[in-house]
Amino acid sequence: MTRDELADALRAIVGPRGVLSRASELLPLSADGLPTYRLPPTLAVLPSTRQHVIDVVRLLAREGVAFVPRGAGTGLSAGALATGDAVIIGLNRLTRIISIDPVNRLAVVEPGAVNVSLTRAAAAHGLHYAPDPSSQTACTIGGNVAENSGGPHCLKYGVTLNHVVAVTVLLPDGGVITLGDADGETPGYDLLGAFVGSEGCFGIALDVTVRLVPDPQAVRTMLADFMSIEAGARATSAVIASGILPAAIEMMDGPTIRAVEASIYAAGYPADAEAVLLIELDGLEAGIDDEARRVQAMCTEAGARTVRIARDDAERARLWQGRKKAFGAMGRVAPALVVQDAVIPRTRLPDVLRTIHEIAARWNIQVCNVFHAGDGNLHPNIAFDPHDADATDRVHHAMREIMRACVDAGGTITGEHGVGLDKLEYMPLIFSPESLDAQCRLRSAFDPERRANPGKVVPVHACREWLATPAARALA
Amino acid sequence: MTPADTAVRAGTTQDVAAAVRDAAARHTPLRVVGRGHWLDAGAPVSPATPLALDALSGIVAYTPGDLTLTARAGTTLADIAAVTAEHGQWLALDPFGSDDGTIGATIATASAGPLAHAFGTPRDAALGLEVVTGDGAIVRTGGRVVKNVAGFDLTRLFTGSWGTLGVITEVTVRLRARPEVDETWAVALPDDGAIGAACRAARGAAAAPIALELVDAPLAAALGLGMHPAMLVRLAGAAAAMRAQRDALRPLGAAAPAPEGIWQRLRTAEPLASTVLRLSHRPDRIADTWRAAAGIPSAYRHATPSRGIVRVIVYGDDDIAAATARAAARCTLIAERAPAAVWLAGPTPVPNAPLSARIRAAFDPAGILNPGLAPDAPRSPAWPPTDA
Repeated sequence: MTRDELADALRAIVGPRGVLSRASELLPLSADGLPTYRLPPTLAVLPSTRQHVIDVVRLLAREGVAFVPRGAGTGLSAGALATGDAVIIGLNRLTRIISIDPVNRLAVVEPGAVNVSLTRAAAAHGLHYAPDPSSQTACTIGGNVAENSGGPHCLKYGVTLNHVVAVTVLLPDGGVITLGDADGETPGYDLLGAFVGSEGCFGIALDVTVRLVPDPQAVRTMLADFMSIEAGARATSAVIASGILPAAIEMMDGPTIRAVEASIYAAGYPADAEAVLLIELDGLEAGIDDEARRVQAMCTEAGARTVRIARDDAERARLWQGRKKAFGAMGRVAPALVVQDAVIPRTRLPDVLRTIHEIAARWNIQVCNVFHAGDGNLHPNIAFDPHDADATDRVHHAMREIMRACVDAGGTITGEHGVGLDKLEYMPLIFSPESLDAQCRLRSAFDPERRANPGKVVPVHACREWLATPAARALA
Repeated sequence: MTPADTAVRAGTTQDVAAAVRDAAARHTPLRVVGRGHWLDAGAPVSPATPLALDALSGIVAYTPGDLTLTARAGTTLADIAAVTAEHGQWLALDPFGSDDGTIGATIATASAGPLAHAFGTPRDAALGLEVVTGDGAIVRTGGRVVKNVAGFDLTRLFTGSWGTLGVITEVTVRLRARPEVDETWAVALPDDGAIGAACRAARGAAAAPIALELVDAPLAAALGLGMHPAMLVRLAGAAAAMRAQRDALRPLGAAAPAPEGIWQRLRTAEPLASTVLRLSHRPDRIADTWRAAAGIPSAYRHATPSRGIVRVIVYGDDDIAAATARAAARCTLIAERAPAAVWLAGPTPVPNAPLSARIRAAFDPAGILNPGLAPDAPRSPAWPPTDA
């Protein structure tokens, strides 16, 4: 089947408005949230119904065509970009919240439902969906499942994996299976756990059953400012070790604070500080003020100049806005921003942040650190001008060194953004050939033909058994 | 020659890899054994060589400030508890059975206890593993940090796979700081009919228990609570918040302090040789699931209402096949430990059998790892019986 014939066959399923084939209309699908990758697809299909998705995937299976599932395209690993002739399957028209069960605190949603829309829909029941990536006003639940997304409040509440109860999966061969069960335990292997975070390589989620969390009785949001990153890191360690488990501990460094304060998202952070911690406590009303005082004392002990507790919801929202819009605010620094993602053991925060600072100075680039300090989940963000070839090159070099520093500290190369294309080269830093091959074996069980999001997550050369297949030999 | 005569006792990961490679080459099945607490879990395995991991023990890494710990698979839960307690921390997993069980077996069987109410199950605690797959390859999954999405999630795949995909040789887990106050209250319930209302009241209470467990009258009596069903509520947190939490329990009924060590006694109330079945459904159907469990002649029943799970402990060799079948028709039934008759006939079948079989074949091509154990257990084609 030629490309045009395939486009016609797809139109026959989803209608003429559901297929994108001209370069101009495919342009928005050539990138995600990471500005360093651009791969224009040759064909994209936008199903409007669950049956469309099934029929599309079955057609592609018959024709042996690869595909890339895509949600809102807010990903930060170039994971939702089409390699080769893979067809993009855009799932953002499947936005329904199918049901909410307030008694069992469950919701069933379509993959294209936007993260925050679920929380809005659950609000009437005093419930919310806990994982809250910074892109939550745009990103989809299907994308969150694919990436095993996190967010500030995952410190206390856990990541997407801990909130997904069941998924109906459309396998790459067109088969439909259910993983997990809202009606009791599931005997057998934890296939649901294996599917969450599989970056679109194991199939497409047709619907997702998630756990909802009761809104806390009380919330206290506080801001502590420090004259050094080290002092902020010490305060973080002290709080974590104390047994108090805040809902979130977020850190922003000096350059981030100043970018935020100069922007329309100004949150009232002290502009001369070298670090601020945004700490949120939540839970029962009883005892929360006592807990807040203890955290306040720990911050002061670590060297905080001031610790301010938000007096009302408006102030609390303002403090959070600065954090959640920090990436946007960095638009003031340079036209493009690489949002990086790595995790280190929490006790290594001060020295790794110092190393990152040294790397940035050596390559003459500007790094803004805004991250989930409580988890040790760093986001070193590099603002740069993508039209400046020399700057772009220095950014790449610096990023590689930063990743290596995190791995050397006993960390990992991604905590919530995924591997996609961007982190492929780093996978051998943390996994042996045997370990990478084991991941390939799991992928092959779900997708023996390697047609779902090909070329992502695990470097192809690591997959011994795949390299032995006729299909791989034909490509070589 | 009995299997014990040929047992392999591994002291290192390399020993395990060598034993697995050898078994794969000779097509002789291995039975992976920690402290031997799960030997009755599942269909009898045809003569298999025990691969003992009890000597593969010890803490590999523990940085209290990171709240993570890495231990070899044969390390007992008691050892981990002792080391972490020195720093006011704990591994918040309390699987049924004694703390003499190993971390490897806990992860391999995904065994969870009452603390799962607040802290989740082994899948939520495991951060990374070292595993020897059925072809003898040494594989590392996940890492040693608390958040990690690098690569496909083999940690979740191996957790709860009962050693049928690989032999877990090392485990990294997430720890938690021990709460300042940790106290348990027992609420006496008049009879089984009061359970639904008590669970609804508990759900609405302004308390944040770290465990909430129902026990039936015989188990309550065995625990020294008197011959009536009871709800055990474990409250924890800062001292300043305890009074309000205790007050919040009032709508549940009169609460009395539970005897010291009650959780340890609950975990070890069942003899190792007993049959244990687990019934589950949605949490709001806990009273129904409790009634379904009552149809099985049992010594004890207890439940974690927030997870919708009822555990049924059966003594002796009562013929429970028909009763089990009736219960399984009403909810999901998993046999934790069961005689072959129950194992073959009763439990809810493993879903997605073709995909599971492909995974099994990919990781254990020779089929030598714990053959016969869940989720590899053979199913009766006659199940479910039509007269059930």
